[in-house]
Amino acid sequence: MPKEREVLRALVEFADTFVDDYDVVDFLHRLTARCVTLLDVDEAGVMLVDADRTLRYVASSSERMRMVELLELQHEEGPCLEAYRGGQLSSSTTAREADERWPQFGSHAREAGFESLAGIPMRLRVNVIGALNLFSRRPGGLTDDDREIAQAMADVATIGLLQERAVRDGQIVAGQLQTALESRIAIEQAKGILAENMTVSVDDAFTLLRNHARTHNLKLTETALRVVSGVLPAASLGLSGRTTPS
Amino acid sequence: MSSPDEPLEGAGALDEARFERAVAARKAAGHDPATSLCAAGADVLELTGVGIMLSSGPRLECVAVSDAATGDLEAMELMLGEGPCHNAFRTRATCFDADLADDRAVSWTAFREHALAAGVRAAFGFPVVVADDCIGVLNCYRDCAGALSAAQIADAQLVANVSGSTMLGWQADAPRDTLAWQLEGSGGHRVVVHQAAGRVSVQARVNIDDAMALLHAHAFAHGLVLHEVATDVLTGRLRFDV
Repeated sequence: MPKEREVLRALVEFADTFVDDYDVVDFLHRLTARCVTLLDVDEAGVMLVDADRTLRYVASSSERMRMVELLELQHEEGPCLEAYRGGQLSSSTTAREADERWPQFGSHAREAGFESLAGIPMRLRVNVIGALNLFSRRPGGLTDDDREIAQAMADVATIGLLQERAVRDGQIVAGQLQTALESRIAIEQAKGILAENMTVSVDDAFTLLRNHARTHNLKLTETALRVVSGVLPAASLGLSGRTTPS
Repeated sequence: MSSPDEPLEGAGALDEARFERAVAARKAAGHDPATSLCAAGADVLELTGVGIMLSSGPRLECVAVSDAATGDLEAMELMLGEGPCHNAFRTRATCFDADLADDRAVSWTAFREHALAAGVRAAFGFPVVVADDCIGVLNCYRDCAGALSAAQIADAQLVANVSGSTMLGWQADAPRDTLAWQLEGSGGHRVVVHQAAGRVSVQARVNIDDAMALLHAHAFAHGLVLHEVATDVLTGRLRFDV
């Protein structure tokens, strides 16, 4: 059956995407487009959870689908939210069922012409990062085959997204580490400069530095960098900062 | 030490769990977290000393060492600006010097001399790469000559990777703009050196980079380690007045 080959090709294509730098949003749009061509559904969409654990719209196969997804988020009910919260498939097979389960969102879905709704969790072990929405104009829901294919696509996408997040988070912390290290060095250098200039101990020099930063509402690092570069003369810290006679 | 005819292996015998147990053992013995990483690295890799340098701007800064002697050698390597650590960092690739006493070698002659005087015969630098960024180097020192086996190389890279992500984990938990406390204490002498550079910049009326160069030059000329010179500056025994 050529469909199997198409599915395989799609999965390989997705896996290939993750090798290099890739655009997450672009990738997810391609995922939704692939879902529509491969599965017996009319529209697909992806919602992902962000840093503050809120589900957000990310991609959809069409503008109409985007509107329906936004309504789902706005009413905080629907298959996507259920799939995300429960970590398992959430689906309805008729518009009536959708109406009963999701009183507010169900009517919007019906008005948009959807009969079958399905939310597939995007999950890696305990980590649920979002859900894939698959909507169809015909009642009856997903076939068993389609459900398996959809879960496989969601799984591959999840692995790729988690990888991308890990890389991005790592780079952010690596940058913070470098900044903190530079800041540490600048503070020690500034302590030495002040200690020499003011004839005080390095501990007292640190107090001068900190007091100046507080009084002038500056960051400690910024103050240290100014002292080191000579922008802030040591003498000016002595006047404002000395709180205890040494 | 592996014999030369031992078959090369793609992966080493070490796994993350074993390394973490070695780190835990060092911590239990009273070492601080950063020292424990290096000391455990030396334990599992069967090396004389291990040090970790992280990048601070374009420069490397030693943040952790397994022992004081390794700290002195790292300071020397940073001062000289040559040695396997610099190459590993620049190229993001492992840098090997299996025999520092090899007369035919032309690279890092000054570092070579100091390392040999400190009893180190082989030095290896492994890039610490986290999330695609090279954030520093893991330096390995051994008191006998000889190449590392493929398995040892794989093991050392694992130690470099795990150490790197451990340090990033510490930093991720640290308050914004401050260095993780775990990275404050170890690495030994750098705090003293930077304070001394600050003092010297005032005494000699030069900028901070030149002050650091003066400290280096003095240490080099008198065959001292940077830390000793810095300590003398801080206690006032040595001044650089113009």
